[in-house]
Amino acid sequence: MPTFASLKSEWLANPRGDILAGIVVALALIPEAIGFSIIAGVDPRVGLYASFSIAVIISLVGGRPGMISAATAAVAVLITPLVRDHGVEYLFAATILMGVLQAIAGFLRLNLLMQYVSRSVITGFVNALAILIFMAQLPELTGVPMLTYVLVAAGLAVIYLFPRLTRAVPSPLVAIVLLTILAFYAGFDIRTVGDMGELPTALPSFFIPDVPFTLETLQIILPYSLTMAAVGLLESMMTAQIVDDLTDTPSDKQREMKGQGIANFVTGFLGGMGGCAMIGQSVINVKSGGSTRLSTFVAGVFLLFLLLVLGPVVAIIPMAALVAVMIMVSIGTFSWRSIRDIRHHPWQSSVVMLVTVIVTVWTRDLARGVLAGVILSGLFFASKVKRLFWVDSEASADGRSRTYRIEGQVFFASSERFADAFDFKEVLDRVVIDLSQAHFWDISAVGTLDQAILKFRREGTQVEVIGLNEASASMVERFATHDKPGADAAPTAH
Amino acid sequence: MEHILACIDASAYANSVSDLAAWASTRLQLPVELLHVVQRRDAVAARHDLSGAIGLGVKTNLMEELVRLEESDAKLQVERGRVLLAAGEQRLQEGGAVQVRTLHRHGGIVETILEREADARLVVIGKRGAGHEFASDHIGSKIERVVRASDRPILIASRAVEEPRAIVFAYDASKAANRALERLLNSPLFTGLPVHMVLAETDDAAHRHALDKAAGQLRGSRDVRTTLQGGKPETVIADIVAQTPGAMLMMGAYGHSPLRTLIVGSTTTAMIRTVHVPVLLVR
Repeated sequence: MPTFASLKSEWLANPRGDILAGIVVALALIPEAIGFSIIAGVDPRVGLYASFSIAVIISLVGGRPGMISAATAAVAVLITPLVRDHGVEYLFAATILMGVLQAIAGFLRLNLLMQYVSRSVITGFVNALAILIFMAQLPELTGVPMLTYVLVAAGLAVIYLFPRLTRAVPSPLVAIVLLTILAFYAGFDIRTVGDMGELPTALPSFFIPDVPFTLETLQIILPYSLTMAAVGLLESMMTAQIVDDLTDTPSDKQREMKGQGIANFVTGFLGGMGGCAMIGQSVINVKSGGSTRLSTFVAGVFLLFLLLVLGPVVAIIPMAALVAVMIMVSIGTFSWRSIRDIRHHPWQSSVVMLVTVIVTVWTRDLARGVLAGVILSGLFFASKVKRLFWVDSEASADGRSRTYRIEGQVFFASSERFADAFDFKEVLDRVVIDLSQAHFWDISAVGTLDQAILKFRREGTQVEVIGLNEASASMVERFATHDKPGADAAPTAH
Repeated sequence: MEHILACIDASAYANSVSDLAAWASTRLQLPVELLHVVQRRDAVAARHDLSGAIGLGVKTNLMEELVRLEESDAKLQVERGRVLLAAGEQRLQEGGAVQVRTLHRHGGIVETILEREADARLVVIGKRGAGHEFASDHIGSKIERVVRASDRPILIASRAVEEPRAIVFAYDASKAANRALERLLNSPLFTGLPVHMVLAETDDAAHRHALDKAAGQLRGSRDVRTTLQGGKPETVIADIVAQTPGAMLMMGAYGHSPLRTLIVGSTTTAMIRTVHVPVLLVR
């Protein structure tokens, strides 16, 4: 049971800062929710309900106070085919299943898997996400009148220059308001939010998605739900880490995973699409002074309040203004430093980062990008560690025996070098393999040692293995065959 | 090795804590560990930037800015802490403490105290922290959390202390009170001090019997008085404490679960709040 004191520190540590930050964040949530509803092929209502519901629920059940979760780009780009082929009801069902899968992942403590995601992969993920967000703005920027470009540029100018005037007012809000007023009174013929589909007019209501409850439905939604769950958790875990670092406070990652599950599960029933934590908006939150659950809660509630009260006004906001805000989010998400660091970092790190970016942008699926990055960084790691392996050998004075001294790490990647180290053609009575400085990691290593011993024996050479340290010994005892019945001669003790 | 853990911060209680710790150290012949936890101002909330605009390199820049803000503040706090610890150490030595070790740590106050109390025979702490300096008749929220979570005897210092010369023992026949009684019998901390046992219940045979039985255990080794008087414990006991010069109040702590105390209120908290002498709480 949370204590009274911890409730207080997680909600009311700094109410003024949190409420203001929540309001600033709500303004940055609207463009993403609307923009990515359009990308996903659904009404803006779906994304806006989702942002409200996810933000409010995660503020109650999440494990990282101060992190912002809502309908996100990362999830939205995955679901376009599902909505196109099967309709929006299947999206709601997939969102519910996504929540269930995420909660299961939380119970299985899959957050621990994040240990295997290297820093380069995380940087690649963040950059790929920024590029996806930017690319999602392109449909609004191609085949449009020149005026749109002017408005977007003006919006960006306001966003970045206005803070020099004052930091008391959110500059994205100023940009949106100015462009809306300008476009409305000048009567520009450009696309507005109202042209994009239905906006919310009432509180979301609870309903069960209108899909047949059959195995076929499950087959349709399960692949989507799995990817959505994976991408959502990945972004959430990475964002949680960023917020941990910025605020220098710990978080409960397992609780966050379960919380994401609950939030998406409920959101599906409220007619919202799946979401997750948002890097850009979470940074905005911390930057604006938000650090507790209250700011996330306020962001969600204020978002819905804005839409219900100011709905007709929201409809006349030109899309160009939202595009400008999303370009800002994209720029803020991108890790500028990683470009600078490409030259200084080991080339393997840069390759991992770039592969993660390329695979993600290619497949529009952050999960695949991360998978590619993780596999590649694993390979690079193995190839680095396999170099930590040395062999030297010494013949006895009479030339009838030889001692091989093996040092370092023996595992699948280095086992070939391990095998090549022995000269089986040399005529010897006795071979001593000294493993006291070596470490055997897997059955590839043990198998190679077995083979070498058996090969020496076939040449009539007696083999003695000495100095297996404890970890290696247990590996050998469990998996080796050369000293088990069936090997052609009794080995000497090791 | 066993020791007395004395926790100080920049509040007016630092001196009383040092004095009481020195007194306990002389009596128990144990060294004192003087702890100060550095509290850092939270820079996230301190920046008044609602611009909401994020540009290239925002994460790195923000990180650097937060580190810079907190770094200068933390340095100041560390310096302040050193001065506090040095003053406390001197006061302890003048007070006759057996041996003094200072300990300067970063982190949460409550968490650090709970972590360090593992080897402590006694924890000495001020009634309020620096954050609650002027909220008179109030118990600091951190103190309350320490008292609830700790399993060591805790000596809570009032703002001004004199060397304890008498003990007022709030006896309510609970398990915690009986443990306190045991301590009173055995610990060198209390040797030779007169004890006034108070039970704030109606004067009937059962209560009288319980009180006399407990008092009987103490008699012989020292001067014992008993009072059985109906009324609210915090008023009855506070009155007796006020009439006893050089009193230290001793009691068993927190008989109820946190949830129950949230609803019905806690005698322990009320007592700490109302008396203006050191209070020794025994779990």
